[in-house]
Amino acid sequence: MAQFPPPDFVQTDSAIVGIEVYMPAPEPDIAPQGVVDFKCPQCGATTAYSVADGGICCEHCGYYESPTREVVGKGAQEFEFKVETLERAAVGWGAQRKELVCENCQAHTSIPVEMLTYTCPFCGSNKVIQRDAAQDVLRPRFLIPFQVTLEGCQVVARQWLGSSWMVPKDLQRLAHVTDFVPIYLPFWTFDAVTTADWRAQVAHTVTERYRSGGEWKTRTRTVWRWESGNVRRLFDDLLIAGTERLSRVLIDRLIHFDLTHLTPYDPNYLAGIRAQAYDVSLEPAWAEARDAMREDTRRACRAQASNSRMRNFTMNLDFAEETWRYVLLPVYVGLFTYANQTFQVMVNGQTAAIAGQRPVDWTKVWLAIGGLLAPGVILGIIGLVTAILGIGVIIGVIGLVLFVIGAIIAFFIYQKAEGMDDV
Amino acid sequence: MSEHVLPQTELEAWGTDVQVVVCETCDWRFVLPAETSLPRCPHCFGTELELLSGEVSELPYVAPPEQAVPFAVSEAQLTGGIETFAKGIPLPPKDLNPAALRARLQAIYLPRWWVDAEVAALWQAEVGFDYEVVSHQERYSDTVGGWQARKVHEGRVRWEPRAGRLRRTYENVMAPALEAEKALRAQFGDYDVTRARPYHVDMVRRAPVRLPDRVPAVAWADAEMALRRRAGDECRQAAKGDHIREYRWQPAYPKRNWTLLLLPAYTTYYLDDEQRPQPVLIHGQTGRVIGMRKASLKRAQRIALILGLMALIIFVLSSISLLAVAVAPPLLVLGGIGLLVGMVLGLSALAPLIVVWRFNRPRRRPQER
Ligand SMILES: [Zn+2]
Ligand SMILES: [Zn+2]
Repeated sequence: MAQFPPPDFVQTDSAIVGIEVYMPAPEPDIAPQGVVDFKCPQCGATTAYSVADGGICCEHCGYYESPTREVVGKGAQEFEFKVETLERAAVGWGAQRKELVCENCQAHTSIPVEMLTYTCPFCGSNKVIQRDAAQDVLRPRFLIPFQVTLEGCQVVARQWLGSSWMVPKDLQRLAHVTDFVPIYLPFWTFDAVTTADWRAQVAHTVTERYRSGGEWKTRTRTVWRWESGNVRRLFDDLLIAGTERLSRVLIDRLIHFDLTHLTPYDPNYLAGIRAQAYDVSLEPAWAEARDAMREDTRRACRAQASNSRMRNFTMNLDFAEETWRYVLLPVYVGLFTYANQTFQVMVNGQTAAIAGQRPVDWTKVWLAIGGLLAPGVILGIIGLVTAILGIGVIIGVIGLVLFVIGAIIAFFIYQKAEGMDDV
Repeated sequence: MSEHVLPQTELEAWGTDVQVVVCETCDWRFVLPAETSLPRCPHCFGTELELLSGEVSELPYVAPPEQAVPFAVSEAQLTGGIETFAKGIPLPPKDLNPAALRARLQAIYLPRWWVDAEVAALWQAEVGFDYEVVSHQERYSDTVGGWQARKVHEGRVRWEPRAGRLRRTYENVMAPALEAEKALRAQFGDYDVTRARPYHVDMVRRAPVRLPDRVPAVAWADAEMALRRRAGDECRQAAKGDHIREYRWQPAYPKRNWTLLLLPAYTTYYLDDEQRPQPVLIHGQTGRVIGMRKASLKRAQRIALILGLMALIIFVLSSISLLAVAVAPPLLVLGGIGLLVGMVLGLSALAPLIVVWRFNRPRRRPQER
């Protein structure tokens, strides 16, 4: 004890008279610092986060603040499922933000206080109610900053709009209408180790010889043999979306984020960018993650059996080393209208992966389906007509084969087309 | 060697005229009222007890104790304990009987240091805080057709560094005042010191008080260890923690005060084969009896000798009758039986020796005196 109190220690309460207690100074809490003003220190205009290098850049006077990016990646602190955490949520956002509730789609969006005009990024409606963001939510501790620029996003989107033959021809021309909004979406990451032991009766086929009517014959029979085993699975950073406001289908297509770029939360990253607070809270998200983990473990257990045919399968599963993280991940949300219909597009702000709804030119689709089925139908008719001549059977069979193949392909095309505009 | 005079003021503080006696054999020292006398040393049972007066080579600590744990063993408990002790010994020495043990019962007080210290220290430690996490255990069964989940709470400890300053006074910190205390406590069990009462003159009238043979300078290391334990626990409480580890401190002791706590015990003895007194100690609070239970090898030898002699006589007589078979043939039967009986008797003469040897052997642990 060369120095007293030790460096970075501060005095704290003591329960006993005559004993002073010092503890390491708690890390500065972002929450109580009040309003963080994202005003340019030079001209007073609202500054914005610059995607190009992660700094703060003023559009008005050119003031520039270099980035203070510190990447913690997958080493970002993980939290245990403390009873108290689950029971009592922590304080709200770092900087004071306002929450907007869309009257049209009920989405809750958190925006910086200085942002005055606003339309809902999810449905495009401007019927929004402004209110102070709820403070009884857990605070995000880490995020992945935007790495795709708005321009880059537009390029990706334009390519994507023209990348399918099923969309209307003039759709690509409308691409400029699409207005992308960067938004941080809430995600939960979960880690756990599962250990399981299982037991089941597995089917084994045995061949046996027996004598019947003075002759040796063989027959096969199924015998059920008990098998058992154990499995240990490690789950690292399983991502679960913290919002139900956006299409789960779209989010699942975009969810492949590279978490090695996780950065400690800093309100600066949210300068001029919207962020959504979670509406799927920790417990339901964890239940969803656990469900995925236990199903994965169950598959691993079943895969250990010597045959996939089994009965009376039972397993006991124990979760251990469970941890969670609340992170914000960058996504561009875009909307475009075509033929008086609104379509949603999302671009992964880190990897530029794109997913969204596209209008389908059903004429093209039906034509294609018709084209696929036609050879089979025609050959079938020819077969019927020529049946009297005797060669019709062969033609009819070929026609049937072609029809079946055509129908299968047509079914997939139809399914894809359905999926494109209805997500 | 400097010569000291017994401090009269401290002796007067006992509340009655007291004398200090020393056993010439074992060097134990006792304080007892001047009007009483000890026939034997309550420790080694030697008879040469001398009055310690005038000039002594080393000044003993003779101030009266601060507190004493009262004797709390009932007569019935005492009798029962002694009887159990004397029971179940094969061929016990003649002197090992409840009546003799009872008659020689001598109450004594054993000392323990009872230190008050003012401590000023800087400390550092890791304090542990208990918390609970929620985990899950699940079971899947085809027949049930799904998962059954069970939520479990698991206790964990979060360790955090703490440091601080301490200025407290600790009272009644204990340290051994007798060299033999540690070994004695291991056999005897500890005392419930919360029952201690302030010293009263009746206490020294009731039983002689053994004086410490471990000076404060030596006992301080133990006291300091106890202080460290207490301070560590208080620092844990001060930091509102549930556990503490890696406790380090730099203590200073502006004030220290040494007094004694007295612990009640009874001693008695029996004389073994060699007529040496074998001590028996009784816990003055729990009634627990400790001492070496020895069977008498002498008695065993005597019985073995008698049996052996009898066997020899029978053997000789049988041999003679066998020699006379030619004269009187029926003597063959008598001689044969006699020979057999003699052999059996001769062998059984070994039995008491084996029994005593086996009884004494596993119990032969080094005994504290
Ligand atoms: Zn500016
Ligand atoms: Zn003695």
